[in-house]
Amino acid sequence: MSLSRRAFIKNVSVAGGALSLGFTLSGCSRSEFPRLNAADFQPDAYLRITPEGSVIAQIFKAEMGQGVTTGILSVLAEELEVDPASMGYEMAPPHPAFGDPEMVMQITGGSNSIRLYYPILRQVGATAREMMIAAAAQQSGVALSDLYAADGRVQSRDGSVDLGYGDLVATANTLPVPESARLKDPEDFKVIGHQDNRLDLQGKVDGSAMFGMDAPVKDALVAVILRCPHADGTCGGWNATAAEQLPGVEAIFQIDGGIAVVARNYWRARKAADAVETNWQAGPQPLQSSEEIDAAFTVALDGEDYEVMREDGKAPQQVSGKRLTVEYNAPFVAHATMEPQNATARPTADGGLEIWVGTQGPDIAQAHAAKGAGIDKQKITIHNTFLGGGFGRRAAADNVYEVAQIASKLGKPVKLVWSREDDMRHDFYRPVMKARLSASISGEGEVATYSHHIVGPSVTQKIMPHFIKASLPAWVPHQLSDAIAGLSADTDHSSVEGVVDTGYQFPHFEVKYSNVQTPMMLGFWRSVGHSQNAFVIESFVDELAHAAGRDPVEFRRAHLPKDSRQRRALDKVVAMAGWGDTAEGRFQGVAVHESFYSVVAEVVEISLHSGKPRLEKIYCAVDCGRAVNPDIVKSQMESGIVFGLTAALKSKITIADGAVQQSNFDDYPMLRMNEVPDIEVAIIETDADPTGVGEPGTPPAAPALANALFAATGVRQRDLPLQMA
Amino acid sequence: MNPETIEFSLNGQAVRLEIEADTPLLWVLRDELDMVGTKFGCGKGLCGACTVHMDGNPLRSCSLPVGAIAGRSITTIEGLSSDGSHPLQRAWMAENAPQCGYCQSGQIMSAAALLAANPNPSDDDINNYMAGNICRCGTYTRIRKAIKRAAVDMREGLQTRDQDAVSTWSPDAASSEVLS
Repeated sequence: MSLSRRAFIKNVSVAGGALSLGFTLSGCSRSEFPRLNAADFQPDAYLRITPEGSVIAQIFKAEMGQGVTTGILSVLAEELEVDPASMGYEMAPPHPAFGDPEMVMQITGGSNSIRLYYPILRQVGATAREMMIAAAAQQSGVALSDLYAADGRVQSRDGSVDLGYGDLVATANTLPVPESARLKDPEDFKVIGHQDNRLDLQGKVDGSAMFGMDAPVKDALVAVILRCPHADGTCGGWNATAAEQLPGVEAIFQIDGGIAVVARNYWRARKAADAVETNWQAGPQPLQSSEEIDAAFTVALDGEDYEVMREDGKAPQQVSGKRLTVEYNAPFVAHATMEPQNATARPTADGGLEIWVGTQGPDIAQAHAAKGAGIDKQKITIHNTFLGGGFGRRAAADNVYEVAQIASKLGKPVKLVWSREDDMRHDFYRPVMKARLSASISGEGEVATYSHHIVGPSVTQKIMPHFIKASLPAWVPHQLSDAIAGLSADTDHSSVEGVVDTGYQFPHFEVKYSNVQTPMMLGFWRSVGHSQNAFVIESFVDELAHAAGRDPVEFRRAHLPKDSRQRRALDKVVAMAGWGDTAEGRFQGVAVHESFYSVVAEVVEISLHSGKPRLEKIYCAVDCGRAVNPDIVKSQMESGIVFGLTAALKSKITIADGAVQQSNFDDYPMLRMNEVPDIEVAIIETDADPTGVGEPGTPPAAPALANALFAATGVRQRDLPLQMA
Repeated sequence: MNPETIEFSLNGQAVRLEIEADTPLLWVLRDELDMVGTKFGCGKGLCGACTVHMDGNPLRSCSLPVGAIAGRSITTIEGLSSDGSHPLQRAWMAENAPQCGYCQSGQIMSAAALLAANPNPSDDDINNYMAGNICRCGTYTRIRKAIKRAAVDMREGLQTRDQDAVSTWSPDAASSEVLS
């Protein structure tokens, strides 16, 4: 990505006496920078330097564990010539300057933060550095060419000048912004590629890190909500006479979305909620059970109602070799962030609301708070916090909509806390999916034809109306945003991603998609469509290799382009794992998959104990371009792998009467420490710009495990979750 | 249920409050005492995010009625060290163990109890002891390493292992009110 300077510097203005340079790549107009402070040098929305010499960055992406805070600080620090560990940072409010260049809204998702902002943040840092040097030249009278920046200071080669950045703020504020800022030669990087200590850890080990759940509103009442358990169901009446008599209860009333129970603390609210009698009615939509959904999917696979998402080559009339036709299944799964959903709202004197929430979409949260309170968006202040896990769940703002209704009705500060059961039963689930695959193998052992038909509900059709509310004016009726979402549903790319854009080269390749909607709310779940589709395609390619009588690695290489990133990652991981030379009693499975512009190859190694498989070791090779923080890349691969294996082994949400049947970690279990083996990660060296790391570790995990299970047992498992017994 | 007077020791300080005795300790800490380092994860003792020590033993505070701790001594993450420099906390940072960080108070409190009982744990010891603590970010391999690192430090009595550069940022300082 190259930035035209003209597009980059959209406008220059003087606000409050401080020089301001606007970066509005999204094209939104900018009124003022967030947290403007007249005394500071604030060359853009991302960064400011105080007269005391503090360099403070806005963290405009959600920190949900993926390490974006350290990433942003590292890239800025490199060009600005400061120690990243010396920088301060603030969680940014929603602001047009932070609109994502690809997603328009200020969303954190799609593993795009560092990929998109790497060149932008380098420019931001370099611009500030050059202005510091220019200010030092003016203050000292020493020529620009004799000055350089190092460790937060500007110094001269002869030692006569040594000025801290803080000493240069006042002068820098009087200077013009340079037309272009010179970027450092990557050969000279000291931070990028080297900064391995995360910069957000102290509070996370001493308990002081603030999550949404810890909102510092000491006089807040606590609310819990009773919600209809049936998707699209309704409330047929409720009675809180007994509950209102319980100690500590403040108020019980109906809101859009449930019955709010407000009390002095969480426990009193929960006890009172238990005493409320409710009469919930199931919804009118079809497919209210997992069994009905499965049957409808089979009907769709047999039918003609589908979109052709990719078609190249022509299916030969006669194929002499073997032909396989099989079906794969993936269930609904939940995000199950460790921090249950929550949000806190405090009414302000001017009729607005202050909101504290850990969110992947602060502007979405702002829009939903405005809707919940029935007031203008401008009257909503969002304080973003650390997120106790996001994985896509915290892009939605249903929690904010709820708390805004409650706080504005009571006129008092309220903290809304979901129980684990609420969180499990009212998620934005990864969609259930069924796929039918059919392929034939030529006499030479090559894939001759490949057909892949996916059936499942469109995520965008369900969730886009929720997001669109944040970007459309309030007067736009809901029906219109629903219609906009519906238009794209039949060709929802997320349903087929990872298949239509696979790296495999087959002479004939056909992908079909049938959108069969269910009553369940859907959302983006770490790696989205890739998470199911990689399982299907990488399991099926393994089947084809075995059908062709070829080694699964050699077979994959033969169908991947020479010099491809896929081949390189595959070669790397099999070298790490000693593929083909596995120890006695050990069995390996492999998978390679591209997602979010990164390629990840994984080998899962298992053993059998009395016929029961056990995870022994996992190897991973990742090509994510230049690794800004190599140890964070490794930790994200480890995290993505554990996330993928957890779903592969344990996760299944089922419904009956439109209601989720799981509730907590006893019936929706997670992998635990005693089940997770060592994970060895290698980063493939490249000079390419950074690509995604938060999600790409997840997709290969399930198929690599399924392929290992086949190697060990000879049984091909095609339904998630996989059975280890 | 009527409020009653309950007294206990919290991180070395005497606490006396009027509270319904069925209230779980977790909510007393979080809602009544503003000690929010101890986290709510499941409410059923299944995830370990709320782990605290009672008289040195790890317990899930979400399932522990405050009436049951009268006269006892409670330690939370805030009381593990005065300045966040317990060998486990330093080891957690050195291994870049936390990601989102939400479960880590509970993880560290469980690990502290483990090392108090077993100063030189094997991988199996660690896995078995820590199996009650869920981490959704999947930081288990790093936690294993951090526990072993801390165990070495504690056995060798090292109090000043060189710390790599760490942020001095604090959550209070991060709020806009303070910095802008």
